[in-house]
Amino acid sequence: MSRLRRIPKRVLLFSYLTILLAAYPTGAAENQSQTVRLKIGTILASNQNDEIDPKLNAMKNQLKVMKYRSYRLLKEETQNVPWQGNAAFDIPGGRSLVVTPQEFRNKQLALKVRLQQGDKPVVDTTVRLNNGGNFLLGGPPHEGGALVLSISATAQ
Amino acid sequence: MRNCEDIAESLGVWLDGELSLADAEVIRLHLEGCAQCDGKRRQLEKLHSSLKSLFEANSPRVALEPFWRGVQERIAERRTWRQGITEWVRSALAGPAGAWAVPAAIVIVLAILSVDSFRKLATQRNNFAAVESIDAHGRNVALWREDETKTTVIWLYHNQEGENESSEENTETRPSF
Repeated sequence: MSRLRRIPKRVLLFSYLTILLAAYPTGAAENQSQTVRLKIGTILASNQNDEIDPKLNAMKNQLKVMKYRSYRLLKEETQNVPWQGNAAFDIPGGRSLVVTPQEFRNKQLALKVRLQQGDKPVVDTTVRLNNGGNFLLGGPPHEGGALVLSISATAQ
Repeated sequence: MRNCEDIAESLGVWLDGELSLADAEVIRLHLEGCAQCDGKRRQLEKLHSSLKSLFEANSPRVALEPFWRGVQERIAERRTWRQGITEWVRSALAGPAGAWAVPAAIVIVLAILSVDSFRKLATQRNNFAAVESIDAHGRNVALWREDETKTTVIWLYHNQEGENESSEENTETRPSF
């Protein structure tokens, strides 16, 4: 304590301010992210057989949530897109998916997602997901089954 | 071995008999071998005996009864927890100890401010995607979150009037979640 008393008050004040600035989370690292890597997996879910595409092994448990018997990866596409930029993905059946990364906060990305059938909008949604996480958008009918889109995003 | 300065500081409590046996023995041994400290002891003892005799000579004239009653009342008095905290805070902030109050307050404020961030981080660890808004343009839509795999599913139903899908495609659009 006696040592503390010897420290000039000005030094103490600046020390406190430094502690304050250092300790408060600024989210600076999140703001440094320049682009977002978007990965869209297009999967055909059906009940035509009991086969699950080996390429989908990593997300087998997620897919089983939908209780279809068969899952096949039709295509997989990755794009890097800047924040607020649009990334368009062709989806089988004349559809397209447009994804716009909105913001990166608290280690979560907000994505604006639009699925279109030709020029007609099918769904518009805004989803907040973990960096590197994914969600599933499904339902559009295709080849006797349903399309399931796995949409994942990683801030670069 | 303690030096003379330490011994001199402890002489008062030693004379009052408030030291542990070991410490008292150290002082006693030091006094046996140090004439200077022993001299200080004798001075203190002399002062003590002078004060004692002075007090005893005057005590009949001093009304000590109300004083002792007051002391006993203070001892018996029960402090509320609020008074205890107030006194503790007051003593903690007094003097140099007060210097720690500022960083402590900063830490507390930061902790309060960070609660929301930690809550969001905890949510993030759940690995659920959160749907903030959805417009299916008149179609039926189901939103489903599954705990075990932390999966969020948005499911669109395409059996409504006006859809341009073939009858074959419409047969498999309902999952059995």
